[in-house]
Amino acid sequence: MKEIEKLFVRIVQRVNINLRELEFNVLPYVKDLIPAAQMNKFYAFYGITPHLPLSLQFRNSGLAGSYFLGRCRVTDSLLYKTDIRGDELKKKGDVFQFQNFKIPVSRDEEIVIEDSVLIKTLVHNFSHDPETLEDFSIKDTVSAHYANIHGAPTEGCFLGPFSTVDQTTIHDCVIGTFSYIQAGEINHLNIEPGTVWVRKPGVFNFLYRYPLDQLSPYIYFAPGIAPQGMFIDFVKDRQEAFQRVFEMVHIDQPIPVPASATLDRYAVVKSKTEISENVLVSQRAYLQNATLGKGANAQENCYIINSSLEGNNVTAHGAKIIEADMGRNVFVGFNSFLLGRPESRLKIGKDCIIMPHTIIDVRKPLMVPPGHIVWGLVTSREELECNSISIDAMSKTTNRLTKGNLLFEGDGARFVSAFQDRIHHILEANGAFYNCKDKKGPKGHAQKHQNMVFNTIQPYPKGRLEGLYPTIMIQP
Amino acid sequence: MDKYRVKDLMVPISEYATVSEGSTLLDAVLALEKAQEIFDHSQYLHRAILILDRNKRVIGKVSQLDTLRALEPKNEQLDKIEDISRYGFSQKFIINLREQNRLTDVSIRDMCLAAAGLKVEALMQTLTEGEFIDENASLNIAIHQLVRGSHMSLLVTSEKEIVGIIRSSDVFSAIFHTMKACKLA
Repeated sequence: MKEIEKLFVRIVQRVNINLRELEFNVLPYVKDLIPAAQMNKFYAFYGITPHLPLSLQFRNSGLAGSYFLGRCRVTDSLLYKTDIRGDELKKKGDVFQFQNFKIPVSRDEEIVIEDSVLIKTLVHNFSHDPETLEDFSIKDTVSAHYANIHGAPTEGCFLGPFSTVDQTTIHDCVIGTFSYIQAGEINHLNIEPGTVWVRKPGVFNFLYRYPLDQLSPYIYFAPGIAPQGMFIDFVKDRQEAFQRVFEMVHIDQPIPVPASATLDRYAVVKSKTEISENVLVSQRAYLQNATLGKGANAQENCYIINSSLEGNNVTAHGAKIIEADMGRNVFVGFNSFLLGRPESRLKIGKDCIIMPHTIIDVRKPLMVPPGHIVWGLVTSREELECNSISIDAMSKTTNRLTKGNLLFEGDGARFVSAFQDRIHHILEANGAFYNCKDKKGPKGHAQKHQNMVFNTIQPYPKGRLEGLYPTIMIQP
Repeated sequence: MDKYRVKDLMVPISEYATVSEGSTLLDAVLALEKAQEIFDHSQYLHRAILILDRNKRVIGKVSQLDTLRALEPKNEQLDKIEDISRYGFSQKFIINLREQNRLTDVSIRDMCLAAAGLKVEALMQTLTEGEFIDENASLNIAIHQLVRGSHMSLLVTSEKEIVGIIRSSDVFSAIFHTMKACKLA
């Protein structure tokens, strides 16, 4: 058995030990997901920019096709086409506010990945755990395709395909396929597929659960089979375009890019696409016949096709927008799938919040009125009525709300303001509010990532260590 | 008081309510009634029925709470509500959901009828290590085990045999009398 295979077996065993209380065996889910032979086929790469501290360490790990930015340490792990984006980590001297505590950060934060298998996963943001401010730790964890680990330290967990853990510390949990969890801290939970849970203890609690029979045509995952369904087909159909941008050493910008915007060289841009000032297009984003107005962004694994975004739009990691027109200040949450048709376009009014992991799939034209929150599965006007509420009405909720499969308890106004504050912060961090005329105002990722360059690193091509990378330390 | 041993306060197994495995909940309730009639020297009622296997060994216990649990309606929607309690909703919220989904056309009588025919094995709690106590153990140990495990009673053993049951009410009664004696002194 080659070293890479031994490493895989060892990691799976460690995860299973952590999940023994839930009687969950990771092996049947992941044993065929990363063929060992694939691990030496793709180079890994890292970004260099004057705006971020650089510190990378790789030890006894496979990193095929993965991307690194900022400070990161990977030990005894297998990463496959995974993005480790450390451009929002805390810096030495920052003060972290938690409840009534103001906690100083004693050194630059680092993403620490140990004994984990991450498949096509995005890791971003910073640790929200007040107990581990300087380490954003991912340990004894297996994540499947297009999972997002966003500001969420994990230990002993399995994350299903298209799942997201967001600003939540998780220990010994199984996060089901296409589930979104933002709940502060969770332990020893087996979360069913299609669960959308946003909780701030003592303030609000939002829970929506997809009917599994209606979710399975979009995404389905079971032991012994690869993830399947419309999400996977959609991504596979566009895979070839990414191969081209990854294979070419030098690539010219395919469209004009304003001086205050960033179009990552690892994004795919097809014809008739336009981007305005302060736009951020991240690596592995896919734009085709897309218009991105001032301050809009398309983050990793986003697809925007035959669609327009008017401006200051957040398209969070993994969101897809097809045949749709988005008004100003529309937020589309993680892994949402918004699918109009040429003859039945989807229109989202300004200031709408499309909750993370929302599916809108319409065969008749549909308009979401301005200022609405939308969640869950929407395939018709009737389902939109059931799975949406105006921001005003939500703000007036003071106790409880049940609507279709949604259960909400707590303070609706604080739920709305929590989202609005976060959307504002995301736009600011991405550079949407930069004054490009006077070259003033807060610079964000759109301005800071412009001059980024990339280096590539390669694994052992053959032999006992085939697919593993030599121990590498990269320092400024 | 300090001289008390568990065997001084226990109810002998022969005086306690028991039924054989395979019995129904109704059989168990009738056995409880009968045992209580015979064992009438205490103001405290028996609260559980012991389940015996064919070799007369205790294999489980059906408590009052288990009996009430058997009356609870079960359906997919209620299971979902039960599951929702994992997600940090308040008790008030969960009760409200249950109330919304309550089967309004089922009377208590119908619920009792349905539960009466259930086999005791389906309802009984199997016994854990902390629910056994030696007959010569002190009252302190009995109190500790009852409190630590939130048990209503413990099974009393002599060698490997179960010889009785010590109930929290028996221990409480002993403590109560001691407290009263302290005050009077």
